[in-house]
Amino acid sequence: MIALAYVVMMGLVALLSPAIAGTKPLVCSYQGKLYFPALGYFNRSWENAVFRKDRFRNVYPAKLREKDPASWAIWPLVYQDPYRRVRDGEWPDQPANPTRDEGRPNRFNLFGTNRAGVDVFAQMVHGARTALLVGFVSMGIATTIGVIVGATAGFFGGWIDTALSRLIEVVMCVPSLVLILALIAVLERPTIWHLMAVLGVTGWTGIARLTRAEFLRLKELDYVVAARAIGVGRTAIMFRHLMRNAMAPVLVPVTFGIASAILTESALSFLGFGAPPPNPSWGALLNDGRGNQQMWWLIVFPGVAIFLTVLAYNLIGEGLQESTDPRLAGAE
Amino acid sequence: MSNSVIDIKNLRTYFHTEEGVVRAVDDISFRVDEGRTLGIVGESGSGKSVTSLSIMRLLAGSARIESGSIALLGKDLVGLPEPQMRSIRGSDVSMIFQEPMTSLNPVFTVGDQIIEALRLHQKLSKSEARRRTIELLDEVGIPEPAVRVDSYPHQMSGGQKQRVMIAMALSCNPKLLIADEPTTALDVTIQAQILEILRRLRDTRGMSILFITHDLGVIAEIADDVLVMFRGKMVEYGSVLEIFENPQHPYTKGLLSCRPRLNTPYRLLPTVADFMQTVQEPLPDGSMTTRVIETKLSEDDIRRMTSHGRGRLLHSKSELATLGHPWTDGLLAPDTQSVEEGTKPLLAVDDLRVHFPIKRGVFSRVVGHVKAVDGVSFNVYRGQTLGLVGESGCGKTTAGRAILRLVDPTSGSIRFDGIDVASLQGAALKKMRSRLQIIFQDPYGSLNPRMTIESTLIEPMAVHGLGTNRADRRDRAVELLREVDLPPDHLRRYPHEFSGGQRQRICIARALAVEPEFIVCDESVSALDVSVQAQVLNLLKALQEKRGLTYIFISHDLSVVKFMADMMAVMNAGKIVEFGPSEAIYADPQQEYTRRLIAATPDDDVQDIRRRVAARQAATAD
Repeated sequence: MIALAYVVMMGLVALLSPAIAGTKPLVCSYQGKLYFPALGYFNRSWENAVFRKDRFRNVYPAKLREKDPASWAIWPLVYQDPYRRVRDGEWPDQPANPTRDEGRPNRFNLFGTNRAGVDVFAQMVHGARTALLVGFVSMGIATTIGVIVGATAGFFGGWIDTALSRLIEVVMCVPSLVLILALIAVLERPTIWHLMAVLGVTGWTGIARLTRAEFLRLKELDYVVAARAIGVGRTAIMFRHLMRNAMAPVLVPVTFGIASAILTESALSFLGFGAPPPNPSWGALLNDGRGNQQMWWLIVFPGVAIFLTVLAYNLIGEGLQESTDPRLAGAE
Repeated sequence: MSNSVIDIKNLRTYFHTEEGVVRAVDDISFRVDEGRTLGIVGESGSGKSVTSLSIMRLLAGSARIESGSIALLGKDLVGLPEPQMRSIRGSDVSMIFQEPMTSLNPVFTVGDQIIEALRLHQKLSKSEARRRTIELLDEVGIPEPAVRVDSYPHQMSGGQKQRVMIAMALSCNPKLLIADEPTTALDVTIQAQILEILRRLRDTRGMSILFITHDLGVIAEIADDVLVMFRGKMVEYGSVLEIFENPQHPYTKGLLSCRPRLNTPYRLLPTVADFMQTVQEPLPDGSMTTRVIETKLSEDDIRRMTSHGRGRLLHSKSELATLGHPWTDGLLAPDTQSVEEGTKPLLAVDDLRVHFPIKRGVFSRVVGHVKAVDGVSFNVYRGQTLGLVGESGCGKTTAGRAILRLVDPTSGSIRFDGIDVASLQGAALKKMRSRLQIIFQDPYGSLNPRMTIESTLIEPMAVHGLGTNRADRRDRAVELLREVDLPPDHLRRYPHEFSGGQRQRICIARALAVEPEFIVCDESVSALDVSVQAQVLNLLKALQEKRGLTYIFISHDLSVVKFMADMMAVMNAGKIVEFGPSEAIYADPQQEYTRRLIAATPDDDVQDIRRRVAARQAATAD
């Protein structure tokens, strides 16, 4: 239950990250029009071009007042930016972020700052987005492939099953971490999406095997035979009768998979092969901390965040397993 | 006065669940004397197994013995500390279970498992224990015990495994053997052998047996005394002859008469509901209790049940003659009819074979075939019920499924209304599927747990384009539920909210949804309690009459098949060994196998019980 609440909270943090920490207004009225500059944190191009044209240089509070005295804006909870150092006087009564190893946690930098003076709290909040995105997108790809392959193999059987099962075994032998490292070495501009794609296309084997086994088990059940006897078509049997009943146990490895994808991303970022530098990532923060061991805040906060998130997903997976496995449910 | 082995007084075992207290065993008292057998009979959920687990003190976490005493050889087991209890289990009292397949550990030989049990309670050397084990296996009738002692469980048949379980239970010379439905999972012929072994052991060892079953026929065969349980309460307790000859409680009366006997005069079975009504009443502590109100079966009811519907509908007289059971007026009931000469059968199966390949190795080389159905031929006429009876593995289920093309026949022809079913493909096969339907055995596995009853019933209509739109199909679904005696508000519910009997009714409604002419009932009542079984059998008969359905009724239970079927086919090892009118086969079986099957069917005829009781008394008087 606590794990579920934590995961929901993380999801909200990731989704609302620009509202929690940022230097761009959530909503602002500028020269008589409404804008949502904070969306720029999700995607560069969503930030309205007018602000670049008017040379805001990402410093909104002063420029807004200067260029349009009638403007107004709603600001994030914390005025800090995950990409750059906040300077003196940007925000009323807020001093510039300390640099080098002086940025220990304080009133303005809750989790401290790194060597360049970028706020750790803001990076953590925006890093949550990266972490969850990696978890969900890569497992989304893996689940899609895995369920389709597993369902096809289990449903049709025969040589299709043999062929797909061998394919599963081949893919299982591919070391995903090494593949990612190779890919990053080859690509000119690796992005986080490449990483997710690799994690996705190598991580589906477990799900495929489980789906196949579930299908093999379910298709012998009387209600499936009854549906065949009624004359229900193959597709309807596959989706209406088999898929729905097979999905509950398949969710279990998916949640474990999310946890492991988050861990892999952090590990890669820690090694410096993850999301390229300006992207905030928990692993990258840890990597920062590795070189500056006296700056404990660079290690403790992201470390705890990774630990808790992975733990929460594993607990959810375990809970799902218990509630879907009748033998474990009976042990209550 | 002989000494009591176990004496239970006012035992109450309650389950403490989130929904409240469930009185699983509510004030039960009985005693079993040395060398006697007490049969506890009741339906699922009546608390009979909880009683036995209370004696063994093997109750699940939420169950507690609330009050009462369990005296085993004068020692009270309630409140005995666990270590002492452990030394009693398996030595003074031991237990055998229903499922011999899962009660043995598959990775050890059966010998090792018995030796372990022996050495746990007795100080025996390894070789002594082994010698003793071979003796025990011999005692329970395992052939070549010195060789079989090194067999693994998977190398033995179900009956042999149950014998091994008995041998294990006997290993430390228990005074009391608790047998919890030990023959329910076995074929009748094996069941008869196991019962014989238990009777012999009781006599040679002077052991007492507590025999738990839902089957009154088995009780009649083995028990000296009978305890009838209903919803946790003891409703009747007496000698086997008293119970069968002169039952007092309406529930016992109902149970006794709802069993289709081999010689039943009924055409519709009375049900427990004909004898009593129950009222749920809350108790001061919030749990529920059941009050029973007796209702009398009137003369009219009995007349209705004995003369209901049509008489048997047999094959034409010339066919009967070729089958070796010629039409004889004396043997058959007066309103028995035969179809007219020259009538075309609705279903004609000729030399049907279904062989499953056995594959080995990497390249799935076919090394042989399992001949599940091996040359089966029969005709079924419109409106008839054909019974397929045989032991497990005889091919009766495969034959039924092959007719519906759920497994592909290897060779032979299946003609339904002149159409060759075996060669149908695509749309023609789909069309045929609406004419042929099947009802399965397991009421829990045959409904999709994630579909409401409404979608379950509407799906077949949608597949075959019956009904104009969803609202119309819904109306038809309501009508179907009414036809199987379920209220229409069940449509929105999911299968897990229903009891086994209700689910089976839903399965029947689903089969009827496509307006079939022909239904294969594959062990459709075997998993149900006898009183529910009677209701479902009555329902199937009523539907046959109303809709003019034709049935193939598959069952391992000869008495049920005989009750339902006009013509009966006895199957063994993939072949039909005997085929003829049900009455004629029962009265005058031509084949040795059929005779064995009839002899093994448990029999609760009062005359036979009286004879057995007299024989017992004569034996103990010596």
